[in-house]
Amino acid sequence: MKSPVTDHPTLRVNVDPHHDGADSVTLSCPGPEFGALLAGAARPADLLKSVFRVTVAQNPSEESPRLPGVSGRYVFLEGEIQFVPTFPFEPGVKYRTTFNLSGIESFPAKEPVTLDFAISPKNETVEPAVVTQIFPSCDVLPENLLRFYVHFSNSMRRGRAPEEIALFDSDGRPVDDALYRAPVELWDRTMRRLTVLLDPGRLKRRVGPNVALGSPLKAEQQYILQVGSGMLDQHGRPLREPFRKQFLAGEPIREPIAVKDWQLHRPTAGSWQALALTFSRPLDRALALAAIRIESEDGSVIGGQVEVDRCETRWSLAPSSAWSPGAYRVQVSSQLEDVCGNTPTGAFDRPLRASPGAATEHDRISFAFRLV
Amino acid sequence: MRDDSLPTGPSRRDILRLAAASALTLAVPGRLAAASETPVADSSVSGPLHSAGVLAFGPDNVLFVGDIAGGALHAFSLRDQDLAEQTGVELGNFHNFEGRDLVAGLDQKLAALFGTTVDKIVINDIAVHRPTQQVFFSVERGRGPDAIPTIVKVNRGELEILDLSRIPHSQVSVPNEPSASAMLEFDPQRMYAITDIEYYKGEIFVSGITNQRFASTLYRIPYPFNSSMATCTVEIWHPVHGEFETRAPIIRHVIRDLNGEPFLFAVYGCTPLVRFPLSALKDGAHVHGDVIGELGYGANPLDMLIFTSPADSKDYLLVTIDTRSASQIAVSELASAPPEPTGGHIDFGPGGLGRTQRALPIKAEHLAILDPKWAVLIWRHPRTTWRLDLSTLALPYFFERKDGMSEMNWPNGPDPFDYRDHHGEIDRVGHLLPA
Repeated sequence: MKSPVTDHPTLRVNVDPHHDGADSVTLSCPGPEFGALLAGAARPADLLKSVFRVTVAQNPSEESPRLPGVSGRYVFLEGEIQFVPTFPFEPGVKYRTTFNLSGIESFPAKEPVTLDFAISPKNETVEPAVVTQIFPSCDVLPENLLRFYVHFSNSMRRGRAPEEIALFDSDGRPVDDALYRAPVELWDRTMRRLTVLLDPGRLKRRVGPNVALGSPLKAEQQYILQVGSGMLDQHGRPLREPFRKQFLAGEPIREPIAVKDWQLHRPTAGSWQALALTFSRPLDRALALAAIRIESEDGSVIGGQVEVDRCETRWSLAPSSAWSPGAYRVQVSSQLEDVCGNTPTGAFDRPLRASPGAATEHDRISFAFRLV
Repeated sequence: MRDDSLPTGPSRRDILRLAAASALTLAVPGRLAAASETPVADSSVSGPLHSAGVLAFGPDNVLFVGDIAGGALHAFSLRDQDLAEQTGVELGNFHNFEGRDLVAGLDQKLAALFGTTVDKIVINDIAVHRPTQQVFFSVERGRGPDAIPTIVKVNRGELEILDLSRIPHSQVSVPNEPSASAMLEFDPQRMYAITDIEYYKGEIFVSGITNQRFASTLYRIPYPFNSSMATCTVEIWHPVHGEFETRAPIIRHVIRDLNGEPFLFAVYGCTPLVRFPLSALKDGAHVHGDVIGELGYGANPLDMLIFTSPADSKDYLLVTIDTRSASQIAVSELASAPPEPTGGHIDFGPGGLGRTQRALPIKAEHLAILDPKWAVLIWRHPRTTWRLDLSTLALPYFFERKDGMSEMNWPNGPDPFDYRDHHGEIDRVGHLLPA
C-alpha cells in the first residue's frame, strides 16, 4: 500500500495481518535532502540509526540515559524507509519511534516526528491459569519423598518457583530448606509441568545436610505444599488462585521396586480389554507412563492408550487392536523410579556395591505372560 | 528549502530514489526487501538455537552452547568478523583493587536493544574468549516456552547481537542415550537441563539434571561431532561413609591435570565435591568418585572454575554460591585430599580441604576469568540493585576496595599496599582523573 504523497515526514506502524510478529515501522517522505544527506554521509548506517530509531518507552530513562534503541534493520522502499526489528515487537510493550534531524548540523532545524505505539496482545479472553493437579496424588507420602510434579492448565513462565512454591507444616509455618532449588527450573517442554524436588542432600542418609538438618519430612507429620498465585503464565498473568496439597508423611521406602510383586490383570485374548498392572506402592507418574511397555513375542511394542491412575499404583494399556493369543512380555526400564527415587535395580541410597564398575543400569527387567 | 543543493535535471522523486538506491548499497547490511515483499522480523539471529544456556569456548574460536529446549549441544565456529580485540579496554586500577563497570545497566541495555522490559531479559551464562578478551553472554528474551534465544557480545562497552544464522555450525543431540534405554527417549515431556559443559582435549563433557528421573549421567562427546562415534554416558555415584552409594546429577564440573593425570571435579546438587580420574569415566560405567568435601546445605553452586593467583602464581578452584560467600581451595590440595572427610561443611579442619580454604565475599550472578589479573562478573551493586552491571574484579582476592571500608582510607591508617600513592587514579567508569 502506498502512503499518500505528502511533503513532510510521517511515521506509521505496519501491523502484520497474520499476527506472526512481522510488525514494522515506516517512515514516509523523509525528504530528498535527507536522502542526499544519507548518500553523502561517511557512515550512513550510523546516521540512519541516530535519526530514525525505535525505543522502549516504558524503560526508565532517568537512571540510564544512554540506553540503545531497539535492534533492527532498515529497508528502503519507494519514498519510504522501513524499520524491521530484530525480534518481533512484543505485545503490550510501549514503543516510541522518532525521526529527529535536530542533531544534524548542516540541516534546517525541524521538529522531530514522534509516534508512540503498542501492539495489542492476543488472547485477552483466555482464562487465567490454575494448578490442575500435584503428583504424587496420594495424601500419604513416604518420609523420603523425592519429588512432586505440579501440573498447570496453561504454559507458564519460569522464574518464580523458588519464591512461590513452599512447604508448610501443620501449624502453617514454613519448612525451611526442604525443597531443592535447582540451577534451572525443571519444566517440561510445554512449560505446563514443573518438577519440584526435595533436597537430595537431606534425603540421602549420612550425607552432610542429612546429618546436620535431618530429612526434609518427618513421619507422622502433616504438611502442605503450596503453589502461590504469583506464578505467572506465559502472558505474564498470575494464577487465578493459590493451590495447596495437604499430605501426611508416612514411613520411608528404602528398597528397590519389586517388579516381581506386581499383579498382572490379563485381558482376554481376542478382546480389546485393557491390560493392567498394579503395584504395591505408588510409582513416579511420569516415569511409569514412559518406562513400561508390553511387547509381543517378536519384540514389537503393543500400541494403545496408556494410563496411570489409582494414586499411581495402577498402569493400564487399552490396546489399539484386539489382543492376539500368544506370548507377551512386560518390559520395564531400569530407569523407572518410585516417588522416592528407588529403581527396580536399587534403592535411592543403597548399600555400597563391592565392585563399582559392575553392569550398567541400562538393563531392562521383563517378565513373560500368555494370553489364551 | 535548499534548492541550491539539488542538482538540475531529474525530478525530486527521482533524486530521492537515487539517493535511496545509493544509500542502499552503502548503508545497510543484511537483506533488503523489494517494495512488494513483506519483510519478516529477523529472529533468524537465533539461528539453530531453541534456547541459549551454558557456554564454553573450545579450540579454534569454537563457542559451545547448551540448548535445553532443543535437546542439543551446538558448536559455532566464530569467524574473524565475529570477534573483536578488546585489549586496550581499561579494566581498572589493579594496584588498588579497583575494578570498573564494563557495561553499567546490562539488563536495562539488553531490554532496550531487544525491545522488551527488564523482567523479560534472562542472562543464562557468560564466557570469555581469552585471546581477544571479548565477553559473550547467552541471553533469552522471555521466560515462557516461546522465549527467543540469542548470543550477545560486548565490544568496547557496546552490546552486539551475534547473527547465529550466518556462523558455521554443527550440533549433537543431548541426551543421546543408548538404545537399550530408548524406552524413555520419545517422552515429549522429558527435558534434560544442561547445567555445565567443558571442552577438554578433543571432547566436550556435559552434565545436567532431568525433570524426571534422578539421573546421574555425564556425557563425553567427541568434538568435532561425529555421528559414527557414540557419546559416552557415565553414571556417577558417590559413596557415603563407606556404607552407602547414591547417584547424583552433576551441576558443575571442572577438569584439571594433576601430577600429569587428568581429573574431573564435580559439584552435585546434594553438596559433595567429588573427584574422578578421567580415565575411569568410560562409556557405560558406573563410577564412584572420591568425596573430598561438602559445600554445605542450601548452597547452589553458580560457577566453578580454576584460576591462577597473580599474588602467588598458584592455582585455585573457585566455586561461587548463590546464598553465601564463594569457596576457594588450592588446586594442590584437590589432588592430595583424602576421600571422605570426617563430614561437615567445606570449611573444615586440618583433615580436609580447610587449610587454604577461603570464603570470598563475591555476590556475582555469573563470573568468569577475563585475564591473568581480572575476573569479570555480572552482579548488582548494593547501591544500584535495580540493575545488573558487568564489571571487573581484581584477582586473587575478588575484593572491590571502592565498595568496602578500609583503614587505607584514613590519613594515618596503615597502608601496606601504598594505596594513598595511587588513590583517585581512576574513577568507577574508567576515566583517568586529571592528575
